[in-house]
Amino acid sequence: MNESLEERLIKNVVWANWAIFALASCIGLYMAPGPFAMGIICGGLITVVNFHLLSRTLQNALDPGPGTNHRVVVAKYYLRFFVSGLLIFGLLLFRIVHPIGLFVGLSVVVAGIFIALILELKYVFSKEAR
Amino acid sequence: MEATALSFFIAAVTAAGFGMAIAAFGCGIAQGIGLRAAVEGIARNPEASGKITTTMLIGLAMIESLAIYALVVALILIFAHPQAGAIAALLG
Repeated sequence: MNESLEERLIKNVVWANWAIFALASCIGLYMAPGPFAMGIICGGLITVVNFHLLSRTLQNALDPGPGTNHRVVVAKYYLRFFVSGLLIFGLLLFRIVHPIGLFVGLSVVVAGIFIALILELKYVFSKEAR
Repeated sequence: MEATALSFFIAAVTAAGFGMAIAAFGCGIAQGIGLRAAVEGIARNPEASGKITTTMLIGLAMIESLAIYALVVALILIFAHPQAGAIAALLG
């Protein structure tokens, strides 16, 4: 019940990421041309999945459990980077997505973090006002 | 005219290369500073590991997204310049 600030913040960020991704995808599918919507969906998926994998990598690296191999953690970190780069490269090279749409999709996590921070500030101010 | 078109595309590729290099340099330094502070914090107070990791995750995600933006802009400049066809046609 009594969550710490960090737990609440990360919960809000994860929730905001998926909410913004869903909202942006729906708006893109409804209002934008195909490649633009595809850019939002692909960019959003890449960045949201990246965020989850980064979270797991950091937890393994900074709070290693028994049997956690640091080499595997580092290899996974670089593999994630390589696969993300390769995906973006392929999407742009074969013109599957519109560049601006991809840019919007890749901004999902940044927007999610800002929204989570606004929610947190709202919570803090409302708590102080009480 | 062809030489002008070629020089435009050479400039675009050079800009992409320098842009990516500068972005990687900046993001690498920023991530290094953040990670150093986090590791120092955990070394001083190992019980705060979870809290530090969570806070750092958000910072690293923000920094990493800057590097990804730079990568996208560099790839757009090289492979998917929106005005590439029009400029090539204009310059002959």
